[in-house]
Amino acid sequence: MKTLVKNIIVCVLLFGMKINAQSQQKIEMRIDSIGNAKLNISMSMNAQEWQIWNSNYGNNPSALKRDIERGMPAYFLDDFKLEKDDMNRSFNLSLNAYGACEINKRGKWMVDTEQKNAQLTELAENKYMLVSSPPEYGGGLQQTFIIELPKEAKNIKTDKNAFGKSVFEFDMDAPSSGFNVMRWAGILLVVIGGGWAGKSAISKNQ
Amino acid sequence: MKKLAIPLALCAVGLVLTAFSFMGSKKGNADDIDISIEKSSFIMPAAHRVYANPDAMDGKYYLFKAKITNNSSQTLEDVTVKYRIPNYVDWTELTVSGEMFPGQTLVVPCYPKFKNDITEKTTESVEKAEIEITWDGADDDDIIEEDFSFKLTNRNEYVYTGIKSEEISSWADMYDNDALIACFVTPNDPIVKYYTQNLQEKLLKGESASVTRKPEDAVRFLTGIYEATRRSHMVYSGTKGIPKSTEDVQSIVQQVRLPREVITGNTGLCIELSVLYASVLSAAGIDPIIYMVPGHAYPGFRMNGQYYAIEATGIGGEGLGNIMSAEDAFKQGQKQLNKFIQQSQAGDPRYTIVDIHNVNAQGVTSMDLKDNDFMRKKVDDIVASWSDGQQVQPNNNGNNTIRVPDNRIRTNNNALSFAIPSGWQTVMQPAPQMPILTAQVMAPDQSTTVSVFDVQTNNVQDAMLTINQHMMNFGMEMQYQANGGNGLIGQTYSSNGTFNWIGKILQTRQGIRFVAVGSPDYMYQQNSGIINQVYNSIR
Repeated sequence: MKTLVKNIIVCVLLFGMKINAQSQQKIEMRIDSIGNAKLNISMSMNAQEWQIWNSNYGNNPSALKRDIERGMPAYFLDDFKLEKDDMNRSFNLSLNAYGACEINKRGKWMVDTEQKNAQLTELAENKYMLVSSPPEYGGGLQQTFIIELPKEAKNIKTDKNAFGKSVFEFDMDAPSSGFNVMRWAGILLVVIGGGWAGKSAISKNQ
Repeated sequence: MKKLAIPLALCAVGLVLTAFSFMGSKKGNADDIDISIEKSSFIMPAAHRVYANPDAMDGKYYLFKAKITNNSSQTLEDVTVKYRIPNYVDWTELTVSGEMFPGQTLVVPCYPKFKNDITEKTTESVEKAEIEITWDGADDDDIIEEDFSFKLTNRNEYVYTGIKSEEISSWADMYDNDALIACFVTPNDPIVKYYTQNLQEKLLKGESASVTRKPEDAVRFLTGIYEATRRSHMVYSGTKGIPKSTEDVQSIVQQVRLPREVITGNTGLCIELSVLYASVLSAAGIDPIIYMVPGHAYPGFRMNGQYYAIEATGIGGEGLGNIMSAEDAFKQGQKQLNKFIQQSQAGDPRYTIVDIHNVNAQGVTSMDLKDNDFMRKKVDDIVASWSDGQQVQPNNNGNNTIRVPDNRIRTNNNALSFAIPSGWQTVMQPAPQMPILTAQVMAPDQSTTVSVFDVQTNNVQDAMLTINQHMMNFGMEMQYQANGGNGLIGQTYSSNGTFNWIGKILQTRQGIRFVAVGSPDYMYQQNSGIINQVYNSIR
């Protein structure tokens, strides 16, 4: 079972940073029509936090990438992009997580939040918000998750798994297989050939 | 007829192409499935329960993870991923995905469930893991089979890091597996339990540290373990610890004798003695700690937020000389602990602790070991050797020279005294810009602070007003109310958040002394025990 949300909590903790007042972190998770997730993590900091974060990661993005990969060992991640806004002491980190959700034996798509009794707020038809305060920060860090399920998702249900943890369950059809050149070329040739043969047959009869 | 030949040929080609377009995508085949595997270079049998648990250390320890992508244009149904490790794990289903859409990626981590008898493995070997991927309607030729080899160490081997050598950038990377030392801590081993029970009964003649939660009782138990090893003539001795390479990983691999082997073999290295102490302490219900420092490790425990340590290798050996008494070993341990705290607070990453019960809670649990009559008899022989000397006396007995450090802060004019928990650091005049702040005492994790203010006035309200004014200069503001007698309870607000505290007003010859102890609001509840303890000791 995929537990991406909890793992994000672990990986974006900005290791080594001492949280003073309650810091806010926004994490957007956009799931595409084949179950991969695009993650956007953004955060603003006070001057002291910004200095520490920069010395740990901001000036060494490869260390950030490495620690995130280690913090999410069960995933394949790529396409890391870090944008810093030094003037406003904030950053935005985006990355891809493959196979973030999968189809269970009953053919249902599943996204596991790994949170007991998660207080999910429905923002739009396919968009949910979850606010979390990781206990390891003693309430000093508030994380706001925006989970956006694919537009194609239908019958979205929030349920609990066997361990009482909140999960998303939904149906989604396979994406169309796209333009098949061979098939359409074949049909075109049949039409052209058929038309040509018909025309020849008519002109012969005349 | 000739005129119809070309158009009819076009029709025929068109039909063939259309038919092929359906045939070609009838179902996926092995070539359409892309698979990439990331594997672990080695598995430590001692940590087999960690590898089996996807939640342990947030899933850090896996055998492999596979990324499977469906590159065909068709949806695959009931995609099943299985694996096996011949002689260790039979074919085991990892996942069944009801459907796998074109372009979809499946990520499958493998947390292998080895049988418990893997802890009896005493030799290293190279093993092969086999992976099989099938789906509904796949031909025999389409079944994907992959395999890879990995090193299965012996049960005593402890590999310090699993990080690839090219990725190592810090001390922490070189000792990335520190938490796994907890797998060698075996409080549930019947031999360790038997040893602990004998220690409690025959040497200490009763022990109640886990019940009373008094540090002095726990220190008595800690020194009791030392005394037991000393009386049985246990000696310090080395084991093999050599650098090894396994594919991309280069690491020191240490042979760690299990606590039962240290007890019955009557010898151990620093890390082995630390693991033995941790096992016995844990079996007795005390929270064990292993302090890791460059080139050395020593044991101790945590109680009521305070840390204690002992130099377990003080037993030395007759061949080595310099056998310390239990008192000296404890003093030496505390001295090392002070240095540890200083180095750690200075940000030296080489000084780390392994809080055994804490990592146990994160899924790093000990290995299973079976009872052994021969070892029990060896324990009986060792217990018999204890009676050569006298039992370790209770702490309140006048014969005992071991004392839990008092750590009381006292001012010259005898106006202030309170108990400083072990390991806390005192700073006199910490803020020169605020001369009324005489001293601050901080917990090692800096979550709890005691502040001592001296104000030259005889009026309590004036004193608090002066303190508040000084606070405002630093962007802070206090709010408080009476808390019975000379007590106050309040909060200090600043841009860094809210700090909750309780304090006492004391009269001194020079004026008013205000002593406050507290924590940030979000940590106050969990630190309330130690806060009240310090508060109640303020005189």
